[in-house]
Amino acid sequence: MSFEASVRRVEEIVRALEGEELALERALLLFEEGIACLREASLELSKAEQAVRLLRERADGSFDTPELRA
Amino acid sequence: MPSQDLLDPAPSLFEDEDTACVSVPPARYDAMPDPGGTPASAITVATLTAATRDILEGAVPPVWVRGEVVGFKEHRSGHWYFTLKDAEAQIRCVAWASDARRFLAAPDEGMAVIVRGQLTVFPGRGELQFRVRALEGVGEGLWRKALEVTRARLEADGLLAAERKRSLPFLPRCIAVVTSTDGAALHDVAAVIRRRCPATRIVAVEATVQGREAAASVRAALARVCRWGGADLVIVGRGGGSREDLWAFNDERLARAVADMPVPVISAVGHEIDVTLCDLVADWRAPTPSAAAEAAVPQLADLVRQLGDLRDALGAAVLERLGAARQRLRVAGGAVSGAAAQVVERRGLRLQGLGGRLDALSPLATLARGYAVLHGVSGQAITSTSGLAAGDRFMVRLRDGRVDGLAERVEPGPPLTPATPRAP
Repeated sequence: MSFEASVRRVEEIVRALEGEELALERALLLFEEGIACLREASLELSKAEQAVRLLRERADGSFDTPELRA
Repeated sequence: MPSQDLLDPAPSLFEDEDTACVSVPPARYDAMPDPGGTPASAITVATLTAATRDILEGAVPPVWVRGEVVGFKEHRSGHWYFTLKDAEAQIRCVAWASDARRFLAAPDEGMAVIVRGQLTVFPGRGELQFRVRALEGVGEGLWRKALEVTRARLEADGLLAAERKRSLPFLPRCIAVVTSTDGAALHDVAAVIRRRCPATRIVAVEATVQGREAAASVRAALARVCRWGGADLVIVGRGGGSREDLWAFNDERLARAVADMPVPVISAVGHEIDVTLCDLVADWRAPTPSAAAEAAVPQLADLVRQLGDLRDALGAAVLERLGAARQRLRVAGGAVSGAAAQVVERRGLRLQGLGGRLDALSPLATLARGYAVLHGVSGQAITSTSGLAAGDRFMVRLRDGRVDGLAERVEPGPPLTPATPRAP
């Protein structure tokens, strides 16, 4: 799931929890799902790319992306 | 009813010129004894014009000539015919299709141009003729015309429509930057993306962005990005330059290639004033490569804050929900209270466990790059200068450990306000 999709899902869950009708069991399940989404989203943010890479196409049509030497 | 050719005989006459020029027999005037010197050795008209042409072409090397275009006509074969004139003189000009198709645009009537070519003779009419090999506008006229012609074609195909514009990915995972790998544009884009959002990968895709080969080179680079398929956003562009430098980004085939890209494209041709055709067909137009990078990625700090807010909202919502349930059970009270209390207790414990996980999820703990959390001696987080006094001990938590410190001086300042959300 993309960062944006994760965030949207958590927002939905918060809205659902803030509604009145949910059974407690259901509310806790949603909460757990929300936690999982938040974890996934923060993982997405915690990637830290350093180098700029260069797209190279080999003769056989495959690609590699070695670090670009400045 | 006269046919089109009868109405307009000039093109078909000129049309013969290609063949006429090569089919005139080699000049023989110098091979004869005293050619043309006597009635008996009279030379042909073709020999005379051929001789004139040879002399002219030998005596006048290719030159640049300035003048105004009048009587412009493009023949169906693609050859151009016009007269170049100024206040005192004029000369017939021809540009063969093979040359004309390289020119920026067909000049308008009266347009001032500079042409380079060869002075010659058109034997079919016994006329002086200038064979144009290069044609440039004086001022912006020709540039604008070329731009408008191509723009109209793109518009007719719907490529400029606002509803075609795709929204940019909220948090791109990988951005392909199509530009010269040793230009400033790539450096600028990389610097901004690294600063705002280090989570996004940057892949440079080499292209020549200057000169005659630029349009084809950028097109080839875009095709490479498509074949690869690893990018969810493309930035294409270059740093600033003269109009000629940026002209490749007005190439029709390049503009169509940009429009055809399967992922959103940000165009960043470094020029504040002129808008290129690539800008017009791209999903987002940025005036400079740096601005493109700003539009491409969000501020990581904003996202961290957003996740923190969501986490708080989620926690608050579920606590609220649990509190309400506890309250209801308490109200129900009576004989069942023991069993019900146990249920609530169990759930309360579970919630505590979840709460612990919530804390462990703190974005500040996982989002290590460039962030630190300041704790006081009793472990409380310190988020304001009011939490510390000179001489207090504190602890800084970093990605890979902690640093203990002693506050030398505390200097309160105005609080930082949150950044405003990005534009797109």
